[in-house]
Amino acid sequence: MNTNFSRLIGILALAAQAQSARAELKWEQTSVDLRPGFNDKQAVAHFNYENVGNTPVHFKSVHASCGCTTAQTQNEQVAPGQKGEITATFNIGGRTGTQVKTVTVQTDDPDPARSTTVLTLKAVITPLLEIQPALVYWQNGEERKPKVITAKANKDAAIKKLDVASSTPDFTAKVDAGSAPNEFRISVQPRDTSKPVYATLTIKPDSPPNTGNTFAVAARVMPPAPTSGTAVTPSSKAAVSTIRHDLATPAPTAGSPRQ
Amino acid sequence: MKVSAVRQALLLIALAFVPAIGEAIYFRNKVSWQSPVPASELVTVDQARSWGDNVIWVDARPDNEFEGDHIPGAILLNEDRWTDLLPQLLGQWSPEKKVVVYCSAQSCNASREVAKRLRDEAQLRNVFVLDGGWEEWLRNKR
Repeated sequence: MNTNFSRLIGILALAAQAQSARAELKWEQTSVDLRPGFNDKQAVAHFNYENVGNTPVHFKSVHASCGCTTAQTQNEQVAPGQKGEITATFNIGGRTGTQVKTVTVQTDDPDPARSTTVLTLKAVITPLLEIQPALVYWQNGEERKPKVITAKANKDAAIKKLDVASSTPDFTAKVDAGSAPNEFRISVQPRDTSKPVYATLTIKPDSPPNTGNTFAVAARVMPPAPTSGTAVTPSSKAAVSTIRHDLATPAPTAGSPRQ
Repeated sequence: MKVSAVRQALLLIALAFVPAIGEAIYFRNKVSWQSPVPASELVTVDQARSWGDNVIWVDARPDNEFEGDHIPGAILLNEDRWTDLLPQLLGQWSPEKKVVVYCSAQSCNASREVAKRLRDEAQLRNVFVLDGGWEEWLRNKR
């Protein structure tokens, strides 16, 4: 009787110990909103945690949702009471708009509800210039009327002027102020539409200075239809024509052609 | 009689809203960020192949994955180097061609994003997303 009672007490004591020995990673936040500047190459989010349990926690894996995001832990093991952070670095590249990236963290927490945590990084990327369309083209033999590309500048960038350079002399480009503040109209015109030509138009804003920010759009005269889609490569050695426009100068409005 | 039926109908509708509102609140931070693709903008490997030479394949995966292997003739265009890579596609595009964008697998979002930008920014027509992506292409190759 006494033996059975002692056994029962022992089992209960072990169960109580197992119950109290727990690992628990408590996250300060699992979602971070970022607004990177237009010159930023990366957006970095810090996810802070603390082990509020009384046994160590081990990270089993930390996995980002895309190749554009990397995630780093400070330690592989988090002791009871220890604090730390996971750093998620999102490489912006040429991305724009709202970007949501996740980092999935797996620990050895025996509670399945706590062993996997999804950390979310949300970055709202406002580009320096929003250009539309990125391609203007003329059918073979089409009237060589100018077509318009609109460039909306980020209002925080204080862009007053755009330089537009064509990779070949087959196209000319003229920059005017657009209908809205911080907007530019780039009128592109081919010299001839009787033969297929291709040019890259490089757009360079005057601000922010010394950053070397450039944007590329394309202008083409298509081959005679039907075509097998033979590629026409731009000649990089061709003469470059540069057209400048200052926003301070009033833009001509009458007769401005639109695409 | 009619009033009672209407009352019961309204009560049922109101009750149906309770779990819906609960779910909306509970899952407010767990919405799917994967851009939905209308069925009309998705193509299968077989469909795209049937277009023959009239297709421009666009690989939206990172550079290293493209270098590893890609659909023959595909053009690399990912958002890591959007400005650098876009002119190459625009130089090969023509109005009668169809553009089919793919990324790694069904779950990836890069092809959707690239296809959307080609429609919005370059204003290209006939831009499609390959259903199942590169994985599906490999499956069909065997």
